Amino acid sequence: MASTVIGAGITIEGEVTSDEDVVVLGTLRGKLVAKDAVTVEQGGVVEADVESGPVTVAGSITGNISSNDRVDLQNGAKVVGNVKATRITIADGAQFKGNVDMDV
Amino acid sequence: MADRSNQGLPRGNSNAYAQGPEDRTVIGAGCFVRGRINGSGDLEIAGRVEGDVTVSGEVIVDTAALVASAITARRIVVRGAVKGDLVASESVIIESGARVVGDLRAPRVAIAEGGLVRGHVQTGAASAGRMASRSAMATATTEGRAMRPVANPPAAVIPTAPTTPTTPTTPTRVAPKPTQAASAAPPSNHGSERDKAAPPPRTGSMVAGRLGPPPPVVASLKKGTKAIAHHKKR
Repeated sequence: MASTVIGAGITIEGEVTSDEDVVVLGTLRGKLVAKDAVTVEQGGVVEADVESGPVTVAGSITGNISSNDRVDLQNGAKVVGNVKATRITIADGAQFKGNVDMDV
Repeated sequence: MADRSNQGLPRGNSNAYAQGPEDRTVIGAGCFVRGRINGSGDLEIAGRVEGDVTVSGEVIVDTAALVASAITARRIVVRGAVKGDLVASESVIIESGARVVGDLRAPRVAIAEGGLVRGHVQTGAASAGRMASRSAMATATTEGRAMRPVANPPAAVIPTAPTTPTTPTTPTRVAPKPTQAASAAPPSNHGSERDKAAPPPRTGSMVAGRLGPPPPVVASLKKGTKAIAHHKKR
């Protein structure tokens, strides 16, 4: 079980720093820093810069994503912002607007 | 990692949450939240939280948690450390091993043996007067309050403060010098310099002076000094 879950009805305004996984089903505004995986589930809204390990998005992220691993934009994901990661997948049906930086 | 690279499947653990109660929020042990948390549903805190917490459901503060914020919820269960006021619409439960510095207010308050509490405790429905006086009390006596016995309610002190300036100034001297009273009031609010220079003749102004914000920690600049500095720069 991931250690941190932001539930569907919850809004966090501020900075979240985590050494472990973060799952977002609700709303997060501010900044998100995680050492491990970040998952934004369907219905989850992140209006923040994300700095983390692997990122999986099925919800929405508005902000820059910086990952030291991979970023997966799944079907239904909506991402507005620049993505910096070693590997990126954008699934069919994902919305994405921004730059991609893959450390080529 | 490489085997997962070409499949767009969700990560294995993410499905567990979709099945579970979605309105449950967990702040994990390795997590630090600085900011406001509000919304509906339950909240479990095992990490660190700084900032106000307002949740419609239940808040559980785990043993390892460090919470430096006021918590408002339907039900609050504390097993860890909280520094801040706890306000619940149903109940506040302080369990063994908990450390709470702050006021407790709820229709039902339970403090188990081994739970440490420093602050004012009020059971029963939250009264409006108490609510209004809380902010003033928090600024005035954050340190000293904890040492006072619980039987001495600070609420009695506070309501007198906001009422005193209006009663002596307005009814007694309405006609004679309303302009003077008006002119004397603003400096007492802003800087302490002019107030000190002019001898305080009336007790009314003293009360008003005591009411205003505390004097600035930084030495106050004279009016216009900033503007002059700007001009010089140019």
